[in-house]
Amino acid sequence: MDSLNIVATQSTPSVIADWDSGVISMAGDSYPENSFEFFDQVFGWIESYLANTERPLTLELRIVYMNTSSVKAMMDIFDLFEEQHGKGRQVSVRWLYDARNERVVEMAEEFKEDCTFPFEIRVDG
Amino acid sequence: MDPIDLFDLRALFERHRILVCFNGPISRGLIEEIGNALRNYLDAEQTKPGAATDVFSIYIELTQNIRRYAASRGYSDAETAATVVVARHDDGHYMVLAGNLVEQDDGAVLLQRIEELSRLDKAELKAAYKAQLRAPRPSEPGAGAGLGLIEIARRAAQPLRAMLTDVGGGRGFFSLCAIV
Repeated sequence: MDSLNIVATQSTPSVIADWDSGVISMAGDSYPENSFEFFDQVFGWIESYLANTERPLTLELRIVYMNTSSVKAMMDIFDLFEEQHGKGRQVSVRWLYDARNERVVEMAEEFKEDCTFPFEIRVDG
Repeated sequence: MDPIDLFDLRALFERHRILVCFNGPISRGLIEEIGNALRNYLDAEQTKPGAATDVFSIYIELTQNIRRYAASRGYSDAETAATVVVARHDDGHYMVLAGNLVEQDDGAVLLQRIEELSRLDKAELKAAYKAQLRAPRPSEPGAGAGLGLIEIARRAAQPLRAMLTDVGGGRGFFSLCAIV
């Protein structure tokens, strides 16, 4: 299976998904007008990875700002993680943030409230 | 027609401490470019990153809502117009305003919605946000998550204020003001 490599634009984050290591990383801002379209490719890769391997999956986020439609799309990913976690699959999220912007932590914490799988939030670097 | 008195216009901008102002058809690219300029201004003003994110977020939700609304009503590109203002407010606060033409009936529904939101405290807004996040995904392509207004209300430092001005022909100019 292919790895995924999407270059960041002004309104969409970079996405690097590595099939061999089971890590998918997203970095930057996410506020495209059509977030579902953008996130579909990310979601598709994650679904395919989970269906075709037995290995752990880590989502590593360095997302600074998300518009509400990106938040909703990200929630779909976390719901999928939650479902897989319930089935005993090893999935986790690691959210890395710049300590200067408290809004990022608040956003990450709010996502975490609804998740029971390992969800780490820590200062980047 | 008299020539526009640019000095007068400038004085108006200065008096209201306007950072960014736009009026006209708004495209996806334009939202990004103006947003970029806005971020640079906020950065140059040494706005705290958290506050700058709030201003930027409200700007994005407002303008993307306007484009989404125009698309849902089948408005042409020329009709997909917005009036956007970001100004400095008292004590390091900012004022973000955006307005657009709407069907008068839709405007009335929006006013009602803003009124409802203005009565909620931060905890209630968070609950409303989470409930909306769990609501089914809209079926039509390009439709929003319906979260925008709640997000704006959550980031605002004061209750949102909205106005609807009848412009005739069944349409009105709807405007929303958020203080961050």
